[in-house]
Amino acid sequence: MKPQTTHFRFKASQTLVNDQIQQSLEHVYTGFHEGRLTAAANTDNWEELRTKGKAIKDHTIAHLDHYLDLLADSVEKNGGHVFFADDAEEARQHILGLAKANDVKTVIKSKSMVSEEMALADALIDAGIEAVETDLGEYIIQLAGETPYHLIAPAVHKSRKDVAALLSDDFKDGDPVPDAVQLTRMARSKLRAVFERADMSVTGVNFAVAESGSIALVTNEGNGRMSTSVPRIHVAVMGMEKIVPSIQDLSTMLRILIRSATGQRISTYVTMVNGPRKPDEEDGPEEFHLVIMNNGRDRLLAETRMRESLNCIRCGACLNACPVYRKVGGHAYGWVYPGPIGSIVSPVLTGLKDASNLPNASSLCGACHSACPVKINIPRMLLELRWRTAEGKVDARERTSSIKERAVWKAWRFGMMGRRRFDLGARVARIMIRPLSRGGWIKKAPPPISGWTVTRDFPLISPKSLKSLLSVRTKHTKRDLD
Amino acid sequence: MPDTSPLTARPLRVTLFASCMVDQLAPGVGFSAVEVLEHLGVQVDFPGDQTCCGQPAFNSGFRSQALPVATRFIELFENVDGPIVVPSGSCAAMVRNYYGDLFDRDPGLLERARRVGERLYEFTEFIDKFFGTDAIRGSLDDSVTYHKSCHLLREIGIDGPPLELLSNVEGLTLTPLNRADVCCGFGGAFSVKMPDISSAILNEKLDNIVQTGAKSVVAADTGCVFQMQGGLRRRGSSVRVVHIAEILADSIRSTGPDR
Amino acid sequence: MTDRAKFIAGITSDLGRTEMLVPSADLATAIFEDAEVARTRATHAVSDASSRSSDLVEHMAESAITSGWKVHRVANPEDAAELIGEICRQKEAKTVLRSTHDVLSTIPLEAAITSFGATLGVTALGDDASSTDRDKARESLFGAEVGITGVDFAIAETGTVVLHPRKGLSRLLSLAPPTHVAVMRPGDVLDSLDELFAMERDDFLSGELAGSMNLISGPSKTADIEGTIVTGIHGPLEVHLVILANS
Repeated sequence: MKPQTTHFRFKASQTLVNDQIQQSLEHVYTGFHEGRLTAAANTDNWEELRTKGKAIKDHTIAHLDHYLDLLADSVEKNGGHVFFADDAEEARQHILGLAKANDVKTVIKSKSMVSEEMALADALIDAGIEAVETDLGEYIIQLAGETPYHLIAPAVHKSRKDVAALLSDDFKDGDPVPDAVQLTRMARSKLRAVFERADMSVTGVNFAVAESGSIALVTNEGNGRMSTSVPRIHVAVMGMEKIVPSIQDLSTMLRILIRSATGQRISTYVTMVNGPRKPDEEDGPEEFHLVIMNNGRDRLLAETRMRESLNCIRCGACLNACPVYRKVGGHAYGWVYPGPIGSIVSPVLTGLKDASNLPNASSLCGACHSACPVKINIPRMLLELRWRTAEGKVDARERTSSIKERAVWKAWRFGMMGRRRFDLGARVARIMIRPLSRGGWIKKAPPPISGWTVTRDFPLISPKSLKSLLSVRTKHTKRDLD
Repeated sequence: MPDTSPLTARPLRVTLFASCMVDQLAPGVGFSAVEVLEHLGVQVDFPGDQTCCGQPAFNSGFRSQALPVATRFIELFENVDGPIVVPSGSCAAMVRNYYGDLFDRDPGLLERARRVGERLYEFTEFIDKFFGTDAIRGSLDDSVTYHKSCHLLREIGIDGPPLELLSNVEGLTLTPLNRADVCCGFGGAFSVKMPDISSAILNEKLDNIVQTGAKSVVAADTGCVFQMQGGLRRRGSSVRVVHIAEILADSIRSTGPDR
Repeated sequence: MTDRAKFIAGITSDLGRTEMLVPSADLATAIFEDAEVARTRATHAVSDASSRSSDLVEHMAESAITSGWKVHRVANPEDAAELIGEICRQKEAKTVLRSTHDVLSTIPLEAAITSFGATLGVTALGDDASSTDRDKARESLFGAEVGITGVDFAIAETGTVVLHPRKGLSRLLSLAPPTHVAVMRPGDVLDSLDELFAMERDDFLSGELAGSMNLISGPSKTADIEGTIVTGIHGPLEVHLVILANS
């Protein structure tokens, strides 16, 4: 997928004035965020599970080379094939090659953010292969020609009316809008026919188990199960960080993933696949391929201050908790991963210079860090990236701060390096903005704070600093005592 | 040599770090904090040389500008005895949680910062830890709701104490705020850099505030106070936003001198 | 160097090392627990399941309802047959398919289902089934109205039915028909996911890992349209858990 991270401000401003999307985004809080809080409250050892989940991921990422090697061996031992892809293009070409070599006509896709990085469905369609997204949300998005809006709820911004128009050719403006059940049934029957004729599936991977070569898939709809039951060939695609060492680790990871994602105790389906169909099995794919993709993740790994972002299990909890995501929506972020996690990984994976707005689009409220099931300290990494865009100390080409901005902070520093300057600066600023004020507040302030007063009054600087207030008080007290 | 060991006994004397914003924009908050601390029998020192902890520049990415200011902060406060109290969870978080990243190339400064950080408490945290939230028995006829300032709640981890302090004020009606733990949209430079997003977040907060019917909103950080008050004024609302130090000071003022 | 070796060497260097470092045992992950620990855990899971079976069944019954199963308690195989027959009749089933789970052979299903004119088939292909046979079997699975299975395990923590597809148990049997009926016996219930994965790990270390495993917790569902939960998208619209009392 081609990054569009430069358009953040523009796309955000469009969403801010779209009432229908603002209303849809409410569900992200009332459904997912509050659901997670309830699920966590109902899990006795929730904090213990988060600590354990973080420990498992920290350990795995610190030995990622070893576990990748082990995983590849295990998958091959099970009779599967492993392909390591340095980037999205390599992965895409490999999968296209598999489809062509096997004369594949229909590919069913299960939701996978990694396949979004590859823009895989479009590539298959361009090659003349029918490629259908089967997660209902993804299917809606595919019909709309859009990209997912949320990690686990790709069509969260679409209204029932939008969906009706996409699913039915005859739906016209003004027609009564079918309810969610009717729309779901329509999609069910359309997709059933596709499942029955599919000869290849592409799924994501929620967890790959290094020791056994198993992959775990978490779904509610059952499309993941269709994908691992019907077609001849199953291709699973994963980012190289999606490993856990042992089968036993799945119980912890599944608990924190699912409860953080939807607030369910468990999803309707968890499917564990250990290679292709065994000889005596009734059904299942004849071939199993695992594609392990890097696509810039090595840079997150090599930068020790960003490494923790590879712990992410893509539950979407940080999006749901984020006040910014809930206002600007998923498309503003301009690449595959929206929300707080997107704001730290997209800049590194696609280029910080174009994505410099992302780390700045945060009030640093820390809700993402509190929500994260593996405790990724997202605010800390946002600050790291802000530092790089402001000062270009890591790579001079990444600096996007303006000369004016740099001058402001230089002046700020000068003012803070001595108490007299600090007081003098405040007095001068007060004198300058005082004519604009009424009753101690300013309705229209000059730059650099003009943005504030578009919607808010700004406080006038106090005539006396705390220091001078307290010194007067001390004098009085002393005099009273004398 | 000043005593810099971690403290447990109830302190008789503390040092106030006002924060740059309180110092120049809201000195009343600092003044109130002093009154409340004195009411608890604590003598408050105010080092006159103080300015800022460096957070504004650090959060904007200008670490090379933040570094000398933060270093100056350390030099000033490592030379005072006893606990340091700041009426801001945000400044407390800067010193305690982020100086590590700012000083990470200087082990000497890192250690000095750690030692100062160990003695630095946010205002309500300090009262809770050494005196308990029932130590202030004020009274005030007002109806309030409480907004949970982000850095105090999530960076410092203080949730209950501010609410307990408020519920111990006699005559005060405390109405719960829906989504109290959701950010008000301030975020320092974020509020002027991306004012449209900041305001959209603020609007949700203000709607929830208005819904409580409370006459005042209490917050624990001056940034939140100005963001919310600025927005409420623009809406033409009469709801007042106050810092928790102010309302506690009000409550003991109306009760009169201490027992 | 193969691509794989090159890829992994790159990771080693990104981790700041010159050689791959095999991790030393730590408490973070269970990979350092050897076969003996896995065996002990698995054995304990089984003995726990049988000694606490009545508690676990009650817990399972509650959790299963929360997960969306329609739960039925029956006293004996005859009652089970009557109940399942009634479910199939209400669904106006013409074709009902079942697995070869042991528990089903104790239930007189054939009579109950043929009584109202439906047919009961068993999905069991031979090892040497041709691809045409497999296509036909798949077609009949997609055409059936009800699929009946036993359960390999159940998990009380989450209200989950666990199935290991194998000969006599198609992957599609619990997925393609719009109604799935699972028959459970008291000894089948494990306490939590921990026990299940302990047993799974023991199977793996003994070289007996199944081709796949499905954890099923209620009917297929989606909330992708305006956050409204709708059951029955790609899998069953309705799932029944029949709990058979100890004989």
